[in-house]
Amino acid sequence: MSHLRREIVKVLFQRRTYVGWVGLLSIPFIMTIALRLSNEQPAEGHGPPFFSSIASNGLFVPLAALAFLSFFLLPLVSAMTGGFVIAGEAETGTLKTLLTRPVSRGGVLMAKWFVAVLYVGVGLALVGLGGALAGWLIFGVQPLTTLSGGQVGVTHALGLIALAYVIALAGMACIVSLAVALSSLTDSSLTAAVGTLVIVLILQALGQFSYFDFLSPYLFTSRFQDWFNLLRQPIPWRPIWEALLVYAAYVVVLVIFALAVFKRKDIVS
Amino acid sequence: MSEAGAEVAPVADEGLGEAQGACASRRVVLSTHQLTKDFKGLRAVDHLDLSVCEGDVFGFLGPNGAGKTTTIRMILGLIYPTEGHVQILDHRVPEQRLDALRHVGGFVDVPAFYDNMSARRNLRMLGRMSGEVSEARLDEVLDMVGLSARGDSRVGTYSHGMRQRLGIAQALVHRPALIILDEPTSGLDPQGMKDVRELVRELGRQGTTVFLSSHLLHEVEQVCNRAVIMNKGRIVVQGPVSELRPTRMSVKVLTSDQPRAAEVLGRLVGPTDVVDDGEFLRVAAGDDLVPEMVRRLVAEGIDVRAVVPAVEQGLEDFFLELTGDSSAAEHGGADPVREPAGVER
Repeated sequence: MSHLRREIVKVLFQRRTYVGWVGLLSIPFIMTIALRLSNEQPAEGHGPPFFSSIASNGLFVPLAALAFLSFFLLPLVSAMTGGFVIAGEAETGTLKTLLTRPVSRGGVLMAKWFVAVLYVGVGLALVGLGGALAGWLIFGVQPLTTLSGGQVGVTHALGLIALAYVIALAGMACIVSLAVALSSLTDSSLTAAVGTLVIVLILQALGQFSYFDFLSPYLFTSRFQDWFNLLRQPIPWRPIWEALLVYAAYVVVLVIFALAVFKRKDIVS
Repeated sequence: MSEAGAEVAPVADEGLGEAQGACASRRVVLSTHQLTKDFKGLRAVDHLDLSVCEGDVFGFLGPNGAGKTTTIRMILGLIYPTEGHVQILDHRVPEQRLDALRHVGGFVDVPAFYDNMSARRNLRMLGRMSGEVSEARLDEVLDMVGLSARGDSRVGTYSHGMRQRLGIAQALVHRPALIILDEPTSGLDPQGMKDVRELVRELGRQGTTVFLSSHLLHEVEQVCNRAVIMNKGRIVVQGPVSELRPTRMSVKVLTSDQPRAAEVLGRLVGPTDVVDDGEFLRVAAGDDLVPEMVRRLVAEGIDVRAVVPAVEQGLEDFFLELTGDSSAAEHGGADPVREPAGVER
């Protein structure tokens, strides 16, 4: 717990922490205000997912924001956060300060990984809460029409939205873990973050070609929209569980890899 | 290789008898045993054996690139040795790094801190990683290094010298048995250097064991009781500082043909007792040999341009002679004939 407390304190003392969170929080507000002021609303089935439904129900704002951000901005935030974990501290020299104390490297890495995921989680929560608030204030909320055409009550819908965010966080944990793994290999946080983004983009590109369809179920990037299933009636849980399983497999393998590298790494920065 | 000391079986004490021998009745706080580190085929530290006794203020001297920082990183468990190991009290590094580091405080290279936090918060956070640290102790160490007035300022606003002082404070905060300081006066103004040296001396007087890396010979002479001089990853000479300073004399000679003159004088005093420092030939001899030296040079047709009378060779000269003479360093030391009394090799 002391590792966790220390890492949380360190994150809370960094200005960029708040810059990132404020940036994420602003996005659903910007989206909502832009749609409200726009003369043309996206036609049904056009534009980013759920955008066309926002004007009819503010509850779609957090869903639209999540779908919109999951494609690039959330992976970017996750890659940067995870990339800084080891390499960033190596750059500033504080990694050696930390490791000249009697702390286990494994404990340090796990705490850093957890706090990186927590940071992304708080960012996602701000997007969700900001989206719900902006949607309620500007478009009002009412029972949600699901993708299957039925309706669920506002409270039920809010529960589904929260669950969607949790599933999205599990997907982002894969990116954080990949960035942490690369961060343990290099002393440049930028290299770790850019390397992560390049890999994520390659995986996303692979998912776009039917030739690689056989890979698709195993690519975590192909699972980023599986939470859409929560908006069907009845909810098809199988793809959701499969997505969570794929996410878990990536996280476990990448974190074990990072641990193995970091425990044997020569700290020369 | 496990990090956790608890998971490691008791470690055999091979080589410890030798380390204990250097300390006589005092406890060995730190020793290295055939400590070696290779980086991509380059040997940075080469089978290093040294021992630091309880209460020592131990100087770790060497020019840049001698392997001092690499050695300190291995002592602190930051990098893994290619061969050999470090022993800190009863704990072997890297295997028992956690147990060993509970007894150690220090820094390597430039001390680094979390810039957005105050010095006090940095000290509290780092100190508590090594054990319980009271607020009174934080005040005490901040006062010791002269940072009381700025203890609550963000470290990001600190000058280089203030960071150095804070580095010393974080090394002391948990009252370790062994303090390792890597060039602690680097970047300090003269008053700051004086303060830090006085602090190190005071720690020594209190019985704290200090391992002080430096490339400043006079600093080591002022502060330390024992020292090693290192070059190219190997120990060139080690022993009590009082005995490290050579007592022999040297004459400086400038001629029209220095390489030939070195040969001629080498035949007189021995080839290893003539060193070309780039300006003069430094000949390990007293004034009584000067007439003969001049006679021989003239007989060989070499013009003698200057002869500087014999002076006691300073530690600075001795250091340059030892570390500048690559053949001596490569063979693990200078000619035994030139070894100062009481100095171990």
